[in-house]
Amino acid sequence: MSAILEVADLRKSYAGVHALDGVSFSVEAGSVTGLIGPNGSGKSTAIDCISGFQKRDGGRIVLAGADISGRPAHHIARAGLMRTFQTVRIYDRLSLRDNLAVAAQQFDPATWVDELLRTRRYREAVEQAEGRARELVELIGLERYYEIETGILSYGQKKLVALAAALMPRPKIVVLDEPVAGVNPSRIREIEVALAQLNRAGETFLIVEHNVEFITNLCHRVIVLDQGRKLAEGTAHEIHTDARVLEAYLGMTPEMAEAEMRGMA
Amino acid sequence: MKPSTILPLALAAALAFALLPLVTSSNYIVGVGISALIFTVAAAALNLVYGFTGLLSFAQLGFWGIGGYVTALTVVTFGGSFWWGLLWAALLNAVVALVIGYPTLRTNRHAFVVVTLTFALLVTLIARDWVDLTRGPLGIPDLPKPSAFGHHFGSTSQYYWLAWAFSVAMLAFLYALCSSRIGRTLVAIKQNEPLVRAQGISPMPYKLAAFAIAAAVTGAAGGVYTFHLGIIDPLFLDFYYMQTFLIIVIIGGAGSFWGVVAAGLVLSALPEALRFSADFRMIIYGVILVAAMFVMPSGVAGWLRERRIARLREQLR
Repeated sequence: MSAILEVADLRKSYAGVHALDGVSFSVEAGSVTGLIGPNGSGKSTAIDCISGFQKRDGGRIVLAGADISGRPAHHIARAGLMRTFQTVRIYDRLSLRDNLAVAAQQFDPATWVDELLRTRRYREAVEQAEGRARELVELIGLERYYEIETGILSYGQKKLVALAAALMPRPKIVVLDEPVAGVNPSRIREIEVALAQLNRAGETFLIVEHNVEFITNLCHRVIVLDQGRKLAEGTAHEIHTDARVLEAYLGMTPEMAEAEMRGMA
Repeated sequence: MKPSTILPLALAAALAFALLPLVTSSNYIVGVGISALIFTVAAAALNLVYGFTGLLSFAQLGFWGIGGYVTALTVVTFGGSFWWGLLWAALLNAVVALVIGYPTLRTNRHAFVVVTLTFALLVTLIARDWVDLTRGPLGIPDLPKPSAFGHHFGSTSQYYWLAWAFSVAMLAFLYALCSSRIGRTLVAIKQNEPLVRAQGISPMPYKLAAFAIAAAVTGAAGGVYTFHLGIIDPLFLDFYYMQTFLIIVIIGGAGSFWGVVAAGLVLSALPEALRFSADFRMIIYGVILVAAMFVMPSGVAGWLRERRIARLREQLR
């Protein structure tokens, strides 16, 4: 496997505080990679810098061989990196259909002239987006809400809409910022299954999440940040038995963690 | 409502409005009709920037004034035709909007409100104090009614049809724009700009385009209204006009194309009906606005929409 996203020596500080102090990691194509760490460890800052929502102070970010460091958010999205947000962001006043259509519209070749003249290019683009949208709506199980304004959906359902929107243009990598935070526990399992299914179909994910069980079940590799630095990296099992991680992140001894793991299984 | 139900309805309403001068011989009523049509166009343009894109622009008043003065000056000072005047009014406004919008739209929405308000006041000052160009407080009287293809729009009824054709054309254009992917993107920008950026769309060109198009349409509307009045002076930049456009948009429901058009046609008659007391007109107007906002904080269209959503929730339960 080759790396689809490479982050090298990423740096960012706010008023002298190092939020990111030279973080390097990579995400393999076709993998699910977890990014975890205690509050204030720099996870959110890292993905904000990667996706262009914050200016980084230093470091290099390469997406599928192209240097995207320091480029504006919409350029990075067009280059194939789609993201979701910690506090769910969707268009409440648009229908589910339109939410997904807007998410795809920048990625088809149809211009406003095509739309005005209803050219073949425009019709094909709309048809394709519609097909993809139906497919994703089925995956997230919200078919009956397709034509309805998404404002009426529950928080968990909105998170699913945000996920589907991120997947619309078939991006090279999807970055999920806390996909299950605040979601009803019974729904977390559904999201997990959906993500695993998408991953088997070839989608690459980078996931920031606090839910350890969720990360353990899904991720091939886990990167642990603490105080703006990479503390550890490995499989979920390796991370769970790493004494430094347990102390920094979980505040537990290895024995307590073992008990926790047994409890989960 | 679906386009398939609303479009025939809109067409029927447009044709009914065309008949107004045949139904009444009162120049006063036909004159109110002209105001209603033109104010509706200006409100629909404000709706594009405010209702759809979420940018509260007081600059519309400035564009309205520039449109009126440019059209009048094209005819009176530069010897051009009324039609060229409208075109110059639209073009100049679009350029001015791009010049103001480019730096201002990068700031936050509050700063945008302040800058656009300042711009409107600046245009008022120019109209009053640049006497060589605008003739100051005296204004430019006796504006000749325009002609086209040998037809002279001399009487109020004839001018009504000109205003009618202009309004229908402008509203059709704005409707096409608002219901296109561009309109949908503007709504998306208003609701969640970071998400729009995360989806690969740069908001800036969309905001600029909406601001410039609204400016051009407002300018042309100002031009048509000026020649209805037959005179332009600094009173044409009275805040009353801005207030009217804003009230139409808010009562109709910001972001609802047809809500604003319907409110425009209905409410434009209201200030005329209130003219019996010039002193209290604004106060009565204000009271009506406040009362409407208490009952329907998101306008008529918003109120209808909330009821629809409530029904949906019931059904989905």
